[in-house]
Amino acid sequence: MTSKTMGNRVAVIGAGMTRFNRRAKESSGELTSMAVEMALEDAGLTIDDIDCVCLGTAPDAFDGIHMNGENLIAGAGARNKPYMRHYVGGGTGIMSPIHGWMHVASGKFKNCLVVTEEKMSPCVPHPAGAFITIFDHTTEQPLGLTLIHIFSIEMCRFMHTYGYTEEEIARVSVLCKKNALDHPAAQIAEEISVEDVMNSPVLSWPVKRLDISPTSDGACAIVLSNEHFAHSLKKAPVFIEGVGFRLDTAYWCTRDLAYPTYVATAAADAYRMAGITKPAEQIDIFEPYDPFDYKALHHMNALLQDKSGRKIKDLLLSGAFERDGSHPMCPSGGALGVGNPIAATGLMKIAELYFQLSGQAGKRQVKKDAHRGIAQAWGDLMQVGTVVVMSSDGAMPTFQSNWSNKKADDLPGTPLKDVKDVPHIADSPDLRYSWDNGLALTTYLDGFKEGKIRGSHCRNCGRMMIPARAFCEVCNLKDVVDYYDLPDTGTVMTYTLSYVDWDSSKLPDGKMRIFAVIEIDGAGEDMGLIHWIDEVDPKKIKIGMRVKAVWKPESERVGNVLDCKYFRPLKDGEKADDKPVRIKPVELHTETVKAFPGRIPLSYLYTAGIAGSKFYDELAKGKLTATHCASCDSVFLPATAFCEKCMVVLDPEKDARSVDPKSGMVIGCTVVHEDRSGHTLDKPRVVAQVAYPGTVGTVLGMLDIDDADEAEIGMMVELTRAKATGAEHVVFKPAQ
Amino acid sequence: MNIAIMGVGFCGSFPASGGLSYRELIARAAAMAYADAGIEAEQLDGAVSVEEDFVSGYSIADEYVPDQLGVQRKSVYTICGDFLHGVCSAAMQINTGQFKLLVVEAYSKASNILTKDELLHFSYDPIWNRLGVTPNYLAGIEMQQFMECSGYGPQDVAEVVVKNKTCGVGNAFAPYGNNINAQDVLLARQVAAPVTEQMIARPADGAVVVVLGATDVALETARNPVFLSGTGWCSGNSVIERRDHAVSEGTIIASQMAYKEAGVKSPAEDIDAFYVSDLFAHRQLMHLDALGFAGDSLARVNPDGGSLAVGDLFEANGGARLVDAVNMLRGEAGSRQIEGARRVVVQGWRGLPTDSCAVVVLDSERRTS
Repeated sequence: MTSKTMGNRVAVIGAGMTRFNRRAKESSGELTSMAVEMALEDAGLTIDDIDCVCLGTAPDAFDGIHMNGENLIAGAGARNKPYMRHYVGGGTGIMSPIHGWMHVASGKFKNCLVVTEEKMSPCVPHPAGAFITIFDHTTEQPLGLTLIHIFSIEMCRFMHTYGYTEEEIARVSVLCKKNALDHPAAQIAEEISVEDVMNSPVLSWPVKRLDISPTSDGACAIVLSNEHFAHSLKKAPVFIEGVGFRLDTAYWCTRDLAYPTYVATAAADAYRMAGITKPAEQIDIFEPYDPFDYKALHHMNALLQDKSGRKIKDLLLSGAFERDGSHPMCPSGGALGVGNPIAATGLMKIAELYFQLSGQAGKRQVKKDAHRGIAQAWGDLMQVGTVVVMSSDGAMPTFQSNWSNKKADDLPGTPLKDVKDVPHIADSPDLRYSWDNGLALTTYLDGFKEGKIRGSHCRNCGRMMIPARAFCEVCNLKDVVDYYDLPDTGTVMTYTLSYVDWDSSKLPDGKMRIFAVIEIDGAGEDMGLIHWIDEVDPKKIKIGMRVKAVWKPESERVGNVLDCKYFRPLKDGEKADDKPVRIKPVELHTETVKAFPGRIPLSYLYTAGIAGSKFYDELAKGKLTATHCASCDSVFLPATAFCEKCMVVLDPEKDARSVDPKSGMVIGCTVVHEDRSGHTLDKPRVVAQVAYPGTVGTVLGMLDIDDADEAEIGMMVELTRAKATGAEHVVFKPAQ
Repeated sequence: MNIAIMGVGFCGSFPASGGLSYRELIARAAAMAYADAGIEAEQLDGAVSVEEDFVSGYSIADEYVPDQLGVQRKSVYTICGDFLHGVCSAAMQINTGQFKLLVVEAYSKASNILTKDELLHFSYDPIWNRLGVTPNYLAGIEMQQFMECSGYGPQDVAEVVVKNKTCGVGNAFAPYGNNINAQDVLLARQVAAPVTEQMIARPADGAVVVVLGATDVALETARNPVFLSGTGWCSGNSVIERRDHAVSEGTIIASQMAYKEAGVKSPAEDIDAFYVSDLFAHRQLMHLDALGFAGDSLARVNPDGGSLAVGDLFEANGGARLVDAVNMLRGEAGSRQIEGARRVVVQGWRGLPTDSCAVVVLDSERRTS
């Protein structure tokens, strides 16, 4: 990177967001459009004024749409505009303004609409199940991991290193949920006590239910512009002063889990651009990412560049993080209080800095005279840090806006108790894979079959690496050719006592599973793997405990990580194995080349959204409904809850227009010979695209016709009464 | 715009690549690109990867990017798009003045995805467009409406397949290059009429890595830099009920952006070679129309054989074209070299159900506008 401070200045000039709900009635695109309409209104612009759009949303597994960014184009206001989607897992929400900043600071565009969205609720039975596929498919997923396990493991290490008690960490949850009482988008704001957190159910020790942010549906949008444009507006802009984003290795068991160096480095990048040399003194407001309460503290250490952790602990215990304190932290209420629709949460924090630094935060306004703030997000496999530093321009502005007094009812977003309370669509995609093991993992997994843990050794840096790899990621991809059998003993670096399964379901009563990161003897420092621990009294497990692998009988071993049943404590007097033994790696030929089977074990229940509910309700009665946009005087088919041309929210009930379902004309059709899985159909079917007089758009569905070859453009058809909700039930027949 | 392509690496294309994990496939392409650019991984400021979760089989697939590029703990993020979208983003990033040297990466392990049609079906809107039949239905409607409006016929579309697959015979990177005639294409098994199986690019494995640098760095370091003169990207209308399927509006707008930036006034005359997405054969013609190069000789189009010959590399498709374009501008394209090629256009399309496209203009020599 260069050593330059920031040249082209980029300002935030407007923000919008939906309420954050556990389940929203609106579809993903509808939520997004609502946030966009508000952001444009706040900036005093229309969609025609916008040069380009960038969008952040985290895993597609939540929304349940492959290439979700493509699906969100219309809702993001990006029709016929330059549009790109970016993501870095949980760090996405702060990566979004950074990507938007690139669009404007590069000089290519004068402004950029930055949009974020997450709809987690479609993923059933619980969105947490989507997290199993964040782990390595071959070496980690077979263990049944989910996000809460990795958080608990990290929290345990954090507490061990910095000497925090659970009660001290719980103060963060109390603070955030209280602050969120004043936030209009808040999902779980409440007055709670440290005792409430401590008494909430233990999910995966040390993590308890009230240590965790919720799963959420929500969207947030901001408008960025260049300095010239920002200064032409009547209200005070807030400028992005510095940005940083850093992504660490995916081999997370090889990393210091107590101190997030990647966040510290990202912050250092941002500080260099912003000219900050003493962050604790030069930053007025902190919005660290707080998906779990300890995470806020974990991140704050890095934001203050303080690996000792003493400063943050002092600030926490002295009450300095309160809104009227010296270092207000999460004045918004954060993910713990406002909610956590992943990507939208990060941008909500950017919006909070914009509100605070332009004096629009109303009841949430911090007491001190704040000129500069920092927002940060984090994610992936404990691996990414994204940081933005923002400042008001000169003197603290005093500005009352719509945002100063907004209440929950002023924000869009309709909460649902159950998806099944509204029209909905079920889908269980059959997503199966077979992952090539390749050069290094073939030898590594062969080791498990032999009852051995295998590493590979880099001659350049001297690291013994687990799992074995064919190149060294820290030595300019230098080839690694030396493989070793390592002792199957090691040391517990951190652990969790878990009562939940990978899909967030509770383990049977009395059942508990211990996951631990184990530094393997003979491998490098901090070079570990994750596995289960058993044959141990949970009260006696501790960091530093010596353990040994317990293997399945040879006849049952197949060459995967479950060939090791678990690790158990080394017994008194029991000695560890000898030093590493160099071996010949497995030679690849058609019999040894193997792939590891996998699947995405997820199902979805989608709400039909505001527009889909109206459309399918009417179609069940044999009626066809469109939606009128008064701004452009267009009637859209199918029904829609927003106009993608004008980017204004529409009401499919009030703005409904009836269309004669018998007046359709085929403008496109195709005879299809395969089903959705690519299997040949017994009888070809016809897909038709049908236009109706006086409307913009068409309806897509199946054409019920005896002879598929008779389907043709220009054919008149009528829409039949739908038997259920969903596109598969949209059926035309030739007009009588 | 003061950006140069300093080095390229392409490990592929293979119908299957058992024996190399995705990490090893990418590391191989990265090593090629870094050697070509005259750099070591440690000199890079960061990376832009281009990936989709369900193609990789991971949620938040960006996690698994840094190691095999040698850029752990650097400024790395992931774009959803064609490879060329990643190039466009990296170019903006360098032009902020805060970054000098970036790598763009995408890969395909298509052979590891056992249920590709299910996956594509899963990309359609769950409320409006999952019809329970082959997700290629949209290609059938597109090809029909394109022919209706453009005057092209099935024979013209078949000739695209013939030409591209024949070009692929001379390309060592093209496992699907072969000698085929138009009747073979037209009489092939129908998938979504009028689209036949032969009009659809077949999946393939491969990794593409490209090093981008600020021009001053490139001129100091790279053995043979190629210059990025214009970038553009656009997604048209994502609502397929309200999209004009006879044209690629995304390509039209993206090319207008790129041409304006690069000073291209008359594409058919100014451009020596066009690389365009041909994931479906009719899309090649549609994209050429949108780029302002219609009805002309196919000789200057996809000299590498395109995706029909090289294979569908998912997010890496535009990257494979870009690598060939760079070799072309360097005069290193071997038997498919177009003599005197100095300026080329590369266009990428994301595939169904999108009209998301990106366009870049490349020059063999630095131009000052």
